[in-house]
Amino acid sequence: MGLLSIIRKIKRKEKEMRILMVGLDNSGKTTIVLKINGEDTSVISPTLGFNIKTITYQKYVQLMFCGRYTLNIWDVGGQKTIRSYWRNYFEQTDGLIWVVDSSDLRRLDDCKMELDNLLKEERLSGASLLIFANKQDIKGALTPAEIAKVLNLEAMDKTRHWKIVGCSAYTGEGLLEGFDWLVQDIASRIYMLE
Amino acid sequence: MEGEADGSDSAADVSALGKKHLAMLERLSNRHQSRPDKSGSPPPAASFESTSSFLSLFNESRMSIESRLAQCRLADRSLLQLNFDEISASIANLEKLVAESSYYLPPYEVRSSLKTISDLKQALDNLSSELIPKKKFSFKNKPARKEPTAPSSKGAEADGHGSRPAAKAGSLAVAVPDSPGFRNRANEVLAKDVRGLEVGEFTLSDLESCEVRLIGCTRALFVHRLRNCRVYAGPVTGSVLIEEAEDCVFLLASHQIRIHNAKASDFYLRVRSRPIIEDCTGARFAPYRLNYRGIEQDLEDAALGEETGNWSKVDDFKWLRAAQSPNWSVLPENERIGTVDISELSA
Ligand SMILES: Nc1nc2c(ncn2[C@@H]2O[C@H](COP(=O)(O)OP(=O)(O)OP(=O)(O)O)[C@@H](O)[C@H]2O)c(=O)[nH]1
Ligand SMILES: [Mg+2]
Repeated sequence: MGLLSIIRKIKRKEKEMRILMVGLDNSGKTTIVLKINGEDTSVISPTLGFNIKTITYQKYVQLMFCGRYTLNIWDVGGQKTIRSYWRNYFEQTDGLIWVVDSSDLRRLDDCKMELDNLLKEERLSGASLLIFANKQDIKGALTPAEIAKVLNLEAMDKTRHWKIVGCSAYTGEGLLEGFDWLVQDIASRIYMLE
Repeated sequence: MEGEADGSDSAADVSALGKKHLAMLERLSNRHQSRPDKSGSPPPAASFESTSSFLSLFNESRMSIESRLAQCRLADRSLLQLNFDEISASIANLEKLVAESSYYLPPYEVRSSLKTISDLKQALDNLSSELIPKKKFSFKNKPARKEPTAPSSKGAEADGHGSRPAAKAGSLAVAVPDSPGFRNRANEVLAKDVRGLEVGEFTLSDLESCEVRLIGCTRALFVHRLRNCRVYAGPVTGSVLIEEAEDCVFLLASHQIRIHNAKASDFYLRVRSRPIIEDCTGARFAPYRLNYRGIEQDLEDAALGEETGNWSKVDDFKWLRAAQSPNWSVLPENERIGTVDISELSA
């Protein structure tokens, strides 16, 4: 376990966070990452493998600068064929983002099943969990509260830090709120314990 | 922190992405350079100008990892864990390299690299559980997932009331209102003009031998279980998701199109990104051929005014090889239908 603790130390210094973003195909993961990074989202193909984005994230509370973090966001494709690759990315994940297409009611069962499986993973047991109830701009989308109910989030393991946030990668609404919580939660676990 | 990257023409990216991308590659290459590597330090990632230079570096690292794996069998027991940790770090580096390069690599290369990395991890995993049987954290995930539930037969849920399919599944803990769409119909012409209505998503499910005419823009289109149908639809500003279609013809314009489990169906598409198929056979593709009064404006408003040529750039998730997938083809011109006009909504 020696190497792991060394890596942890280095991470602390650089204030790096490793964030894994998964969810069913078509849920909007790639759109979210590009949007939060201020990039063009008008032409996005379904993800064949995975992408990684490095984003510098500065945190202010009431205009006071209180931290600068480097987020390494792994955006892994959600098509059925490549879901089996997800597990390759579990190691050392600080934060997990699960993205839901709130307008795709038919596949909510699938969505719940895949999330349940993910949360059984020992290697992810320490990760903070952010659930994005995406596509809130679409008329007919379920609200975050409804999604929480369908996914039965209240039944989650009590030790898990989690939060669900409604968002739209289309308008950008909710994205910062979600990331703020995630970064804050990870930081309070990892960096402030020193 | 940005803007200092040396813009030495990395092939693929122009646009606003370029600068950030280069800065990122530079950071990555710094990381690579600071890592001791037996084969000498690799060229910085930012200098890759072509797929072939990526591939040669990739293969070099792969071979080095493979030979180090092989050497583990001969290694001193006390050094084994150290060796494994090192190899694991090399695999992680290789993986990062692929991720960064995935911006310009052709899809096939991304996927085969991904597969190689997965195989290397598996090999490492197997070897370490073989040689260090009591290792604390082995990657012990057997696929816990069951087979996806088979589609239930149509008769079983012919409630005919067009309630949302998800609600029928019984596990949905919330009551949901009906959403716009056509469900559980046979031998009909189903027509709808959504202009002026504020329609978000639109659903077509469990249709047999129907013709669907949809005029105007929607944000998302879900298609599920169609047989022997013709679907003529105006632009979709988000994505179209098709699951289970057989002997159908689709005329669709959308930002994204995903097709799962389709058989013997023709797709006439205009699409901003590359269409993808998964678990399909006999899918054929051609350019979009729809007309109704005002379609030009609708296409324009949906940023689909121009032909992109993407209708023929299909990615098959179930086909890992560079050769053309046998699951789809371009529809020969002499078999294509002419322009379909649905200006008169009802038949
Ligand atoms: N209306 C609306 N559409 C969205 C939103 N987010 C994403 N989309 C659309 O949903 C489709 C899928 O988005 P992607 O970002 O490619 O989804 P993904 O989760 O990365 O999919 P995979 O790469 O296959 O796993 C695209 O057509 C997006 O334009 C949203 O908030 N609102
Ligand atoms: Mg994606």
